[in-house]
Amino acid sequence: MNLNFRPWVALTMLCAATMLGSYGCSSMKTPATADVAVSKAAVDNAAGADGAEYAPVEMRMAREKLALANKALADKDYQLASQLANEARADARLAQGKANSAKAQAAAEALESDIRVLDEELQRIRK
Amino acid sequence: MKIRIVMPAMLAIAALLGACTSMPRTTSLLDQTHVEYRAAQNNTDVGSHAPLELKQAGEALALADTAAANRDSAERIDQLAYLARQKVALAQEVGKRKAAESDVASSGKLRDEMRLAQRTNEADRARLATDAARRDTAEANARVSALEAQLADLAAKKTERGMVITLGDVLFAIDRHELNEQGMDTVRKLSQFLQQHPARNVLIEGFTDSTGGASHNQQLSERRAGAVGRSLSDQGIDRKRIEMRGYGQQYPVASNATTTDRQLNRRVEIVLSEDGGRIKPR
Repeated sequence: MNLNFRPWVALTMLCAATMLGSYGCSSMKTPATADVAVSKAAVDNAAGADGAEYAPVEMRMAREKLALANKALADKDYQLASQLANEARADARLAQGKANSAKAQAAAEALESDIRVLDEELQRIRK
Repeated sequence: MKIRIVMPAMLAIAALLGACTSMPRTTSLLDQTHVEYRAAQNNTDVGSHAPLELKQAGEALALADTAAANRDSAERIDQLAYLARQKVALAQEVGKRKAAESDVASSGKLRDEMRLAQRTNEADRARLATDAARRDTAEANARVSALEAQLADLAAKKTERGMVITLGDVLFAIDRHELNEQGMDTVRKLSQFLQQHPARNVLIEGFTDSTGGASHNQQLSERRAGAVGRSLSDQGIDRKRIEMRGYGQQYPVASNATTTDRQLNRRVEIVLSEDGGRIKPR
């Protein structure tokens, strides 16, 4: 904050901004609705990638926050709805990421195991 | 006026705010996120496989840092730090996934090579086994041919009692039991055969024509069989393998009416057994 401003002007502006935030401008409604929609898609994608199986904590948080975001949307608290939606999306994407990496690692391990078996077989033959 | 009353209060607040600018606000969550972000930066898997996700996490972290620099509320800073933290974790997961996928790609190649080596090995071994079997068969065939050649050389004939070699009258001295040179020659071939096939035995049967007395013929036939048998044992064949019998004028193979026929009846038959076989007497 620039100290050259007269303090009371700065404070008034701060108060106005806070008031606007808590009452929710209608211009924030469309982006908030969009955020929630995108987050729902993210949660669905994560579920489809077996997120619940491999990252249950993140999936649960994502679903809870999405529900809260929808509620905030209904309550016209658009700033809150957006924030919750963004967090839900981050959680869902992380859940999906964990599921995918777990599956890829399982595939790599299965292949390592195959190779070990083949190696033993080849050693045995060569003896 | 209202402003004059409020002014001192506001000056106090301004002073407080002024004091805060020298101390940037941070939260423990923001600090923690920075630690995790640095770890992700130092992770080579993240750097090589998930640069985009790392960049996005960095951008989110910068927003949180800006909020901290602007001395936003702790709640606001934490909200932004949380988002950044989840993005850092995502960058780590993407790094892990792609590293595992690249493992699968290279290991897959290795496994295919090993399978090929294994199959080549099996094919080689099968081929060696076939070659060995072929050699064995060829050797067995060669042995059979050799055997057949020997038996053919001895003029052996197949009968139900075994292979039979007939030593005709011409191989003996006239009306005597001694073998002549040609006869000895045949017996030598036979003894060679018996040496090469130690599991085979012989039954030597002597026969005469119907001229002369029965007892004379019986003796002559026994002596002729005995001469052949002795000759074999002289050449090293174990006596246990040799059986000798005389049948006199019994079992003629031709009529006794003509000279030729009578000569045919004057013979010694040698029956060869199979490996280890005994021969049934008539």
